[in-house]
Amino acid sequence: MSSRISIIALLLLASSAQPGHPANPRDPDWPCAQAKVPEISLAAVWAGPPLDDVQDKWKDDANISSLVGRLAARRTPMEEAQKEITQYLATATDKTRAAKLLFVGLFDTLNAQRFSVMNGLERATRKQREAADMIRSATIALQALQGASSPDQQKVNELSNQLTWETRIFEDRRRVVKFVCEVPTTIDQRLFALSRIIQQEIE
Amino acid sequence: MQAAVKTEKSRMRRLRLLSAIGLWLMATAPAHAFVAYVSNEKSNTVSVIDTDSWTVIKTIKVGQRPRGIEFTRDGKFVMVAVGDDDRIEVIDTKTQEVVDSLPSGPDPELFTQDAAGKLLYVANENDNTVTIIDVQKRIRLGDIQVGVEPEGMTISPDGKTLINTSETTNMAHFIDIEKRQVFANVLVDARPRFAEFKRDGSELWVSSEIGGTVSIIDPVKHAVTKKITFSIPGLRREAIQPVGIGMTRDGKTAFIALGPANRVAIVDAASHEVTKYLLVGQRVWHMDFTPDQKYLLVTNGLSNDVSVIDVAAQKVIKSIQVGELPWGITIAHP
Repeated sequence: MSSRISIIALLLLASSAQPGHPANPRDPDWPCAQAKVPEISLAAVWAGPPLDDVQDKWKDDANISSLVGRLAARRTPMEEAQKEITQYLATATDKTRAAKLLFVGLFDTLNAQRFSVMNGLERATRKQREAADMIRSATIALQALQGASSPDQQKVNELSNQLTWETRIFEDRRRVVKFVCEVPTTIDQRLFALSRIIQQEIE
Repeated sequence: MQAAVKTEKSRMRRLRLLSAIGLWLMATAPAHAFVAYVSNEKSNTVSVIDTDSWTVIKTIKVGQRPRGIEFTRDGKFVMVAVGDDDRIEVIDTKTQEVVDSLPSGPDPELFTQDAAGKLLYVANENDNTVTIIDVQKRIRLGDIQVGVEPEGMTISPDGKTLINTSETTNMAHFIDIEKRQVFANVLVDARPRFAEFKRDGSELWVSSEIGGTVSIIDPVKHAVTKKITFSIPGLRREAIQPVGIGMTRDGKTAFIALGPANRVAIVDAASHEVTKYLLVGQRVWHMDFTPDQKYLLVTNGLSNDVSVIDVAAQKVIKSIQVGELPWGITIAHP
């Protein structure tokens, strides 16, 4: 049983796309196949009127802040988001200014969310690297124990159990990281779609 | 005599009435009843768009990694390169199902056909060749060795020269169609993706994705005469990646897809100056005009949609959600 675990652990470490193998050597902590784009450029999502006069004033308006929160949440379906944007801008006294405030609010919020997710991914990479080192050392220690002329069975069992758990946690985290790698792109897509709706409203 | 004049007047009135009805019908009938086929690289499907309602009317399951897509000249079939299955699949436009396939080399990406629609020239990304296929007989006639990672393909308006661009070699290869031999190579900027001739054959335009430029090549001298560059305030230079090119039939205006810049550049084809940038969707890639040239449809790989541009108004009028990672597009009469 224990030898099977150590073989699995070694195979796992050797074969997995573990975070010790970055997609880009210049970003050793970036675990995703997707290229790392640190932040979304404003110009990539906005071709509307200049935003210099609004900056972060959206935070001063409770209605806009609350709307930004609802629209930024990925659980809000896009159809519903579109309706909310249309309704809100239809009642605004200065439609263009309201649209600009709303866009800047979404841009700031979603860019911050994206930054936080990317930081989390890099933190996870570092933790995984530590876990990989630990599993590797434990596997070698287990093999040494098993290879002794009279193995201490209690120690073998303890180390074997520990290795099982560490390996399981490592593998679970690896799956989660792969899933989370999609999140920055999902945020990009959401920001672009919301920004396009806002721009169409003021065209 | 009076009776003859009366009859003539009545005939004229009828004619005028008929003309008026005709004009009214022309004005009210849909002017753009075409169908667009869009290859979705990630979802392994082709979306069919009705350009009357601007909606997806059918999604066709195809092979793996569909990219290059084009109608046959008779409009009866749509050919789509399914790179990971190493073949070109053939969709019957009546049944809207895959009914056959053509034998390409490994990983076909883009292709072009001769004016008669008899021969197909396919860029095989993985083996540095262009494969020639007889469309009717569905057989492979031979291969032409080109540069590393061939991609862009086009034929000169006189039908004599085939152009192939190679992504890694950074060249536009001029191929004598009759002899099936490369006779000239022109160095362009990094990762050339797409090639398009002006209708009068006076210029060849080649987009370079990494280089961020479009090279204007003299097809007689085989030399770059000018480079179109792009500048969008607030966007890093490396985010501007020219890929697809579309030129109006009158040769006056060109549209260039700029990839992750999420914009299409409109270029005066005579002066080569950029006159406008249109924000479309995310990672805009390839494009095609409706046959009446009123609309230009562009694929947006990351936002998974197709943007419709009103060519005369130079304005985006619609976005249509399609499959995952839309790549190529072809449009014809239904």
